[in-house]
Amino acid sequence: MIELVLSFLKLGAVSYGGGWTIVGLIRTEVLRQGWLDEGAFRDLVAIAQVTPGPVALNAATLVGHKVGGLAGSALATLSVVTVPILASLALGALISRLGPRGNRFREALRSGTFGLLAMTVWAFAPEAARDPFAAGLALGAFGLAAFTKANPVLLILGAGALKLLASFVLA
Amino acid sequence: MQASKPPSPLRLFLFFARISAVTLGGGYVLVPVIARGLERKGWMEEKDFFSLFGAAQSLPGPIGLNAALFAGRALAGLPGLFASALGVLVPPFAAILLVSEAIGVVAAQKQARAFLDGAFAVVPGLVAALLWRMIRTRAWNPGRVVLALAAAAAMILAPGWAPAFFFAAAALGWFVETPGTKA
Repeated sequence: MIELVLSFLKLGAVSYGGGWTIVGLIRTEVLRQGWLDEGAFRDLVAIAQVTPGPVALNAATLVGHKVGGLAGSALATLSVVTVPILASLALGALISRLGPRGNRFREALRSGTFGLLAMTVWAFAPEAARDPFAAGLALGAFGLAAFTKANPVLLILGAGALKLLASFVLA
Repeated sequence: MQASKPPSPLRLFLFFARISAVTLGGGYVLVPVIARGLERKGWMEEKDFFSLFGAAQSLPGPIGLNAALFAGRALAGLPGLFASALGVLVPPFAAILLVSEAIGVVAAQKQARAFLDGAFAVVPGLVAALLWRMIRTRAWNPGRVVLALAAAAAMILAPGWAPAFFFAAAALGWFVETPGTKA
């Protein structure tokens, strides 16, 4: 339980640029601690996406539940939001008044965010591309999300529905 | 538009709880819904919300949560901040607890299995699209290119050290950026 709290405090502290930046990192942490295997984590991310709420928070709640039931899910969720809440308490008023120095601060943090996102893509790509159909879904989602204003929720649900349909057709 | 009375923490909690309970897909979907909702209530104009949101994005945290923290504080001080945070957190938490009980049973079903596999398959695509949009909208210079590539390479090679690399990149970034840097 201590590891759970420490892991999610740390994850919350690096989640600049939103929750998606740390989904890859949550995976690394979960596999390293042996809380879940790759297949179970894949299911967990899929479920975190199709339940309401920020994906990273949902993932934290689900991992916590696996590790320590109700107490675990509460601890993981509170841990992952602790640093963000403290940061906005301490720096929230300051940051809007920083002006140009605020830009320097933001830009300094941004390079690491690119790294975290690249790491997330790198970690998940081989699993999503296990078969040509899944790889096609991933590429389609990239194209639609990068170049159109498609609603990501529709892409997620649509991909699930397509795969379901394919399972009937190919069965 | 006439400015209405500032909302009580309880009303903020209910406002964010309702949005959080029905919005799938996380922050990038939540934020526009929050912006429109606040304006419709007459609590905050959309452009004011987005200027707060700009600041919210420079702190760690899921952006849907950060947006609620900043809006809650602006509207009702510290009680507003905590009420809004709880509003965002509680509904998904409750939903997840319900789902967790059933997760093993559901995942064992063939149809549910196929649906979840499909929903998962888009993850790298969506994250890559997020990365792509961030790459396209940043004002690149040689220092930023080198730092972002170095951070990505280091994190991919040694994922366990990613948090340390993140802060190292931020510290180096402070020196790469000049005091008059533009966003």
